[in-house]
Amino acid sequence: MFNFAFNSFYEAIYMNGHGIYVWSVLIIVLFSLLVFFTVYQYKIKKIKEKLDEFN
Amino acid sequence: MIKKFIHQFASPKTFLLQVDKFYGLIFFTSLCIYIFSIIWGLLFTPEDFVQGNSFRIMYLHVPASFLSQSLYIAMAVSSATYLIWRVKLAAYFVIAIAPIGAMTTFIALVSGSIWGIPTWGTWWQWDARITSTLILFIMYLGLISLHNSFSNYEKADKLLSWLVIVGAVNIPIIKKSVDWWTTLHQSASITLTNKPSIDPVMLYPLIGTIIGFFGLIICLILISSKNQIFIREKNKSWVKDYV
Repeated sequence: MFNFAFNSFYEAIYMNGHGIYVWSVLIIVLFSLLVFFTVYQYKIKKIKEKLDEFN
Repeated sequence: MIKKFIHQFASPKTFLLQVDKFYGLIFFTSLCIYIFSIIWGLLFTPEDFVQGNSFRIMYLHVPASFLSQSLYIAMAVSSATYLIWRVKLAAYFVIAIAPIGAMTTFIALVSGSIWGIPTWGTWWQWDARITSTLILFIMYLGLISLHNSFSNYEKADKLLSWLVIVGAVNIPIIKKSVDWWTTLHQSASITLTNKPSIDPVMLYPLIGTIIGFFGLIICLILISSKNQIFIREKNKSWVKDYV
């Protein structure tokens, strides 16, 4: 079940020509998650700073 | 009794305290499951006989598609809770979930389009599943824009809740589109009633990515809701004490 599906690292990247599709989707998903987590954490930080100022 | 239960556990203050308690645990568990399952799916599952290695996009596309519809259902349930029991937190959830739902729908559409290039020979087709998912994405954007256009939050919450409930009619259409019409998109490989048509070697990492992605999206909803609570309740004394 946990056998590496490729013969080399290059093969894993290339994936018989499908690597460009698979890895680009992975980048889009991880980038979207990272942006959303960063933006919300930043918004909370900003609003906390504002509330601190009022206090 | 239901009303009492909801009001007891749905106060924004109680919610924030619970979020602080469990957020780290949910986040790190989900992240570990997601990373492990992605590596398992992308590098350790055998190549598909028909689709070749492009089938590995499934490990990114399916969780996003599943969540895009589930989040809309969550919004509809929250909307109904707000309209029936007047629970403020439910209204905060609706607008907190909307951008995250738009993001997951966007991922589902883009990953599906990219998957379509090697599999179908085209990145777009106006078939029922893809078109109804595009409508879902436009609905998410419309609901966010509508809410942002109001200065009166209460009016915006009411209108948004009604629109979300009306728009929920699109969810069974998306779900059943592959059965009702002839579509380029394949029918569901995993259903609640039938045995999965996908091999267990490929299925287990898929379940892992769904669970991991679901957990990460829950975390996003928690911090998005926290943000909404701070915006809406900033003048309350308990928020000042909390900060």
